[in-house]
Amino acid sequence: MGEIVLDVVNQRTAFATGRGMLTAVSGVSLSLERGKTLGLVGESGSGKSVLARSIMGLLPRAAVTGPGSRVLLNGRELTRLSERELRPIRGAEMSVVFQDPMTSLNPTLTIGKQLTETLRFHKRLSKAGARQRAVELLRSVGLPQPEIRVDQYPHQLSGGMRQRAAIAIAICCDPDLLIADEPTTALDVTVQAEILDLLQRMVREHNMAMILITHDMGVVAGRCDDVAVMYAGRIVEQGPVREIFHRTRMPYTAALLSSIPRISDPAHRRLDAIGGRPPDLIDPPPGCAFAPRCKHVSDRCHRVRPEPVTEAGHMYACHYPLGMKEPA
Amino acid sequence: MADLTSQGTAGKTPDTTDAHEAALLAYARKKKLSPFLYLPVAWLVFVILLAVFAPWLGLWPADEIDWVALRVPPGANEAHPLGTDHLGRDMLSRLIYGARVSLTVGFAAPAIGVGFGMVLGMAAGYWRGWIDEVVGIAIDSWLAIPGLVILLLFALVFGGSLFMVCFSLGLLFIPTAARITRAATMKFANREFVLAARALGASDLRILVREILPNVIWPLIAFILIDIPIAIVIEGALSFLGLSVKAPTPSWGGIIAEGREYLETAPWISLIPTAVMFTTVLSFNLVGDAIRRRMADVRESQV
Repeated sequence: MGEIVLDVVNQRTAFATGRGMLTAVSGVSLSLERGKTLGLVGESGSGKSVLARSIMGLLPRAAVTGPGSRVLLNGRELTRLSERELRPIRGAEMSVVFQDPMTSLNPTLTIGKQLTETLRFHKRLSKAGARQRAVELLRSVGLPQPEIRVDQYPHQLSGGMRQRAAIAIAICCDPDLLIADEPTTALDVTVQAEILDLLQRMVREHNMAMILITHDMGVVAGRCDDVAVMYAGRIVEQGPVREIFHRTRMPYTAALLSSIPRISDPAHRRLDAIGGRPPDLIDPPPGCAFAPRCKHVSDRCHRVRPEPVTEAGHMYACHYPLGMKEPA
Repeated sequence: MADLTSQGTAGKTPDTTDAHEAALLAYARKKKLSPFLYLPVAWLVFVILLAVFAPWLGLWPADEIDWVALRVPPGANEAHPLGTDHLGRDMLSRLIYGARVSLTVGFAAPAIGVGFGMVLGMAAGYWRGWIDEVVGIAIDSWLAIPGLVILLLFALVFGGSLFMVCFSLGLLFIPTAARITRAATMKFANREFVLAARALGASDLRILVREILPNVIWPLIAFILIDIPIAIVIEGALSFLGLSVKAPTPSWGGIIAEGREYLETAPWISLIPTAVMFTTVLSFNLVGDAIRRRMADVRESQV
């Protein structure tokens, strides 16, 4: 076992809304070792991004965190820290790459300014030192002509280059944890692989731990060590990538996997979409949240929520796991 | 390998940026100031230079009375090219010294208003909650008092110093400036780059100054451009009512008011400052419009 960078224990995050409490993340636990990448998969509204924001402590004001929830970064509990105490940790020990580099970069500041501000704040570098480091960082993320790019504004860069710059900003202070929140969703298909490769290389070079948030099982396949599948605010299946792909237990994961088109599929085959919608998180059904959309549903699924079961590092929450004999 | 790829792209990128810049330049050239705008720009530069360098122009002192030249029409006396008023004071000198008052108020009042309004609006739009409510109530109550009452009150209580005129007029610009800033701040406070800045450890103050201010400054500049001529006109009206700077100090509105009684015998006393003020306000409006249009074009082409 390597050094544990991140430990999330029973994270619950709810939002006060006009209709009542909306529980976006209900009781998520996970831990992440240095140098490892965890793929966090789920459809829109499954709570992936709220979980990421809970870890960073960047929740909106309306959010409420459960009393038993704990987030530990390098063994230090973040949950109890004040905003002022969190500031030197954000960006320096943990950092984020957002989905759309068009909106996550400030349009009125040059790339260099946005990099050097962070460097000077966390690393106390001189102006010249920060600038030199900024150029090095831009070169290391594969931005051509970093000496010129450093003085350019975000709108002068292409989408892929902008995301490279955003990655350079995120890793500029050597964080231990990098959260990549759908980092390729807003990009051209042609540059998506490049950006994912870059993230992987950065994890290796900087010996970070990374949470790669995505809704694409295909992205997870080659690039993550572990996968956690989220549904309706809970992790419904979690384990090493190979295990999840080859011994899928949870029908939701199976449905996600079969919704990826495969090159071996016959032409014009209809893609398997998952019918229906995710449940209402303000007034969730008592049983399994996926039951209304599940192909293998039974009466019990609607009544009793399945408890997570762990066997050999593979966790799943299902009454009728796939590939197993029917329980008695 | 890495060298090869960076070389390959290095060959391409400068071309595309050059092409981009060339296109922008061509666009800028096409949208260059129309010849129609040279006149107002020239006029404003002329008036501003005269006002700034008034003490070194060798003019008659603005309040010195030339007893042998009362109510001299323009052009009749070489010593007084624009004539004299009913007290024999040099019109040209009074106009130029009057321009100092008008321009000072024209620039200072909107600046004061936008300064205070920006701080209030950014605080309200960024922190929301009770700050927003307090600022909102304050602005609404401020707007409920007629502007003229505020101006009269200030003039009566504090008297006609130039600073008080600028300040009281500036107060009138605060509510609108605060509202514009609040709306713009709210728009940008929810942008992802603000969240990104927080994720990098930036404090609220830093976010306000570095992330939000550069974005909300543009609508405020447009607002100042609109307010300069308005402030000049209001100052003129206040002078006309005798509520601006005190009597011997010349101001355009004041000269117009003094010349009222001599409209039949010496019409130039009122008409010349009226024409000057009209031209100046019109010029500010034309130039302001042109700048705002350009600003909108540039921002649209970038975002």
